[in-house]
Amino acid sequence: MSNKIYIFTNLHVFSCTMIEMIKNAIVPESRDLAFRDRILKTDVGKKIPTCIQCGICAGSCPVSHEMDYTPRELVRMVQLGLKKEILNSNTIWICTTCFSCSVRCPREIRPTELMEILKPIAVAEGIKNKNSKFDRIFSDVVKKTGRASEFLLISKYSLEEPGMIKQAPFGLSLIFKGKLPLLPDKMEGTDELKAIFEIKASETKEKEKKEPAEKTAETEVEAGK
Amino acid sequence: MPENGQESGTQSEQAAKKIGVYLCRCGGNISDEVDLQAVADSLKENKDVTVIIQDYLCSSQGQEKIKKDIEKGKVDRVVIGSCSPKMHLETFRGIARDTGLNQNLLEITNIREQASWVHGKEGIDSKVKGLIKGAIARMSSIEPLVPIEKKLVDRVLVVGGGIAGITTALELADGHEVILIEKLPFLGGHMIGLSKTFPTLDCSQCILTPKMVAVKNNQDITLFTQTEVAEVQGSPGDYSITLKHSPRYVDIHKCISCGACAKKCPAGAIFLPFAQAVPQAYMIDMSKCKQCGDCVKACPRDAIDLEAKEMKSTIQVGSVAIATGFEPFDLSVIEEYNYPAPNLLDAVEFEEMLSAKSKTGMRLQRADGSFPDRVGFVLCAGSRDFTGRGKKYCSKVCCLYSQKQAQLIKKMKGDAEVWIFYIDMRSSGRRFEEFYHHTQEKGVNYVRGKIAEIIPKPDNTLMVQYEDTNLGLKGREIFDMVVLCPALIPSPGTKELADKLGVPLGDDGFIEEKHVKLDPVSTLNQAAFAAGCVLGPKDIHDTVTEGISAAHKISQFLGKGMILIPPEKPVIFECNGCGESVKACPYNALSLEKGKAVLSPLACTGCGICVPACPIKGIEIRNFSRNLYKAQLRAILSEAPGVIVFIDPYAYAAADIAGVNRKQYSSLVRFVSVPSIHILDADVVNAAFEYGAVGVMLIEGTTDEKLTSRSDELYRKLKKETRKHKKPLRYSHIETAQYEKLTDLLNVFALQAGAKAEKRGKKEQAETADDEIKE
Repeated sequence: MSNKIYIFTNLHVFSCTMIEMIKNAIVPESRDLAFRDRILKTDVGKKIPTCIQCGICAGSCPVSHEMDYTPRELVRMVQLGLKKEILNSNTIWICTTCFSCSVRCPREIRPTELMEILKPIAVAEGIKNKNSKFDRIFSDVVKKTGRASEFLLISKYSLEEPGMIKQAPFGLSLIFKGKLPLLPDKMEGTDELKAIFEIKASETKEKEKKEPAEKTAETEVEAGK
Repeated sequence: MPENGQESGTQSEQAAKKIGVYLCRCGGNISDEVDLQAVADSLKENKDVTVIIQDYLCSSQGQEKIKKDIEKGKVDRVVIGSCSPKMHLETFRGIARDTGLNQNLLEITNIREQASWVHGKEGIDSKVKGLIKGAIARMSSIEPLVPIEKKLVDRVLVVGGGIAGITTALELADGHEVILIEKLPFLGGHMIGLSKTFPTLDCSQCILTPKMVAVKNNQDITLFTQTEVAEVQGSPGDYSITLKHSPRYVDIHKCISCGACAKKCPAGAIFLPFAQAVPQAYMIDMSKCKQCGDCVKACPRDAIDLEAKEMKSTIQVGSVAIATGFEPFDLSVIEEYNYPAPNLLDAVEFEEMLSAKSKTGMRLQRADGSFPDRVGFVLCAGSRDFTGRGKKYCSKVCCLYSQKQAQLIKKMKGDAEVWIFYIDMRSSGRRFEEFYHHTQEKGVNYVRGKIAEIIPKPDNTLMVQYEDTNLGLKGREIFDMVVLCPALIPSPGTKELADKLGVPLGDDGFIEEKHVKLDPVSTLNQAAFAAGCVLGPKDIHDTVTEGISAAHKISQFLGKGMILIPPEKPVIFECNGCGESVKACPYNALSLEKGKAVLSPLACTGCGICVPACPIKGIEIRNFSRNLYKAQLRAILSEAPGVIVFIDPYAYAAADIAGVNRKQYSSLVRFVSVPSIHILDADVVNAAFEYGAVGVMLIEGTTDEKLTSRSDELYRKLKKETRKHKKPLRYSHIETAQYEKLTDLLNVFALQAGAKAEKRGKKEQAETADDEIKE
């Protein structure tokens, strides 16, 4: 709870000297409107301003109790453009993409897809925490072998996340019982897989460059349908 | 050819016309998008026309200006460019009446709902210029007509015996004859199934029963229960309505409710609906009845007839009040609630448990008969939902009645726990916030958050999962009973009844008011009025207010004794007696007399289906003649090519709603009003193509099957006969509520037609270029 944002209505608190001491307040400087507009322009973002904060997303979420901010709070923060808090939260990484929130939202906001939009932005901004590290290592492993090798994943993650050392005995017992094969299973034609990843990456880059123009054209066609 | 004669005639007359064109800025609503000065400038060449641009033409100042111009003789025909004629045509016709100008010589061109509100700046000026020119072309050869008078039948049909219908009937009965029909076997509607009423907690039966008895005792009110409208014939002011009476098997006039029958019945099939029921008579549930005949023998008054059949009767009425109310939304479509389940009720079921209709002796109990110590209320169940699963609107009464029910539980058992799960607590209204405050004082627990899931447990308790959004924490509770407060939707059959009466519905399924704020109980059918929840969810206070209003409006309508019907009827100027038009008329308004077709104007609806039916083109509808359309089309398309959309009055209303909702569509679209699309023939459509239409659409909105059943045939015929132009023609049926479908269709069609025209243009250019090279 301590890292949550509090709105201080008490005017005394808002004296200039206090602002620096209290980080947990929404002040104009904490809002990034360009970031907000970038999200709101996407297909998923279009519905975000219509959120009624009913909380059905968080109530439905199987992991919302683990999140810094519940999906409902994340949507509210997008409305305000609290870029730093959003990208540093563990919410976007913890989401299991079960889509319960998206199915039940009465305003057709799709929080699951919102997370998918926010993740690459967090990566591009160079934000690192234990959840984002895990995601990156996982996709690296898949890129290399074409399979999700548990051993590679765990060992690489342990190297970057020192806290994992506590889990070592558990990992060893898994290995002894043959539940954690040491040699990664490799699929055939990993070169082709690599090429696919590269094409996708270059496409995304190009798209980002063209984005504003393309988006409007697309929406026009959709409206025409 | 008669056409030629008419045309030359109008041309010679044209020189004398003084047409005043008044363009309304509408406080920026129009002038922000449309360059009205440019429109005015484009009309400079026409010597017959004076253009005046004004703000708020509908204001007394604006009206005064038009009035003065007419009185001074500056203008003798008026074209107004403003909002929809559905909004202000009557206002402006008032000016015409005051100055003695014939009402046909004043028309409105809609440049707000169908232009400035639905297009961006691109292409809008040329569209408006075209529309105004079209209106001028039409106005210059319109003939002044006098409306036809028809006598009204001074009798009212009130459909629905709930509080809305009862109020309307009682208010009307003082001076008019009323027939009140109710689908169920007893009066009272949903209100008789309420326990107490907010915000005063007075007993619903105590205030309603006297009114039900008053209905029964009033000599001017004829009450039919178990009755529905089967068929509607005739026209506003003079309807002939067939009623369908389902059998009750007990004669309500003979039954003295002694109960002798019920004592004898082995199946429990004969019963009194509830103690205060009006009419006071037993009824038989045929699904339980074993036809043993014991009740027939037991009845001392010989009131029971097990052989009773469904009956029909026909009544003559001048006006209809629709008060068919609501029903709760079916919550089983919302999977996460797992409704129905034991102890998971909707609020209507909860309410009935504590009311006169109670089956538990007005005792609050769970499925196993115990008292629920922990009760949860879930607000907005199926409401405020934009996904298409539920209903978009707020059902208005749930916030208050759930609090009332919470208070009742607290009163029954002080230490019972009551939780109300809400999104926004809406208690606007006199004494409502105080009521909210009072419920809080009683110790009811309010949770701001929508229930995410309700899981029925094996022990018949219910587990709910939610987020307390004030704390940002997920929560889980177990309740003995959960009450879902469902969205309220129009009762079944509302659409069928509305269709029969030609009354459009909104996209939410409720009846569309004539004007949402200023004429809230009138409908687009001048003889049909509505009251209560059929116009949207509301509480008893508002329902009664509307019942009184509807009664007043009906009384006013019938008080005139006469109704004016539009004079735009067919005129038969040439007839060879072939009888084709007589066959074509679905309303039997034409007949053959002495080898000639003759019209009975009162039966005619002016749909125009006889016009294309006549093989020698000897019939025209007054002021909707082929030549008038051609002149209008030529003028509309003289500015820029566009898509011509022929639209009937019902679909026109849909376009207006699209405008009010600012649904954007292509500015290529130019609407041309037709009484019905069946007035059109290849003559007019071909003319549209010749004058430069890139495409033509026929949009029909009427729900009258007599017309819609022939639309396909019409479309195929027109398609065949206009094939030579190789331009797209389309037909579509749009009901008033489907304005979104309308705008989607318009956009797609305009896009396709525009693209096709462009392609053709390029091809032609290439061809001419080729020719040049060859040369």
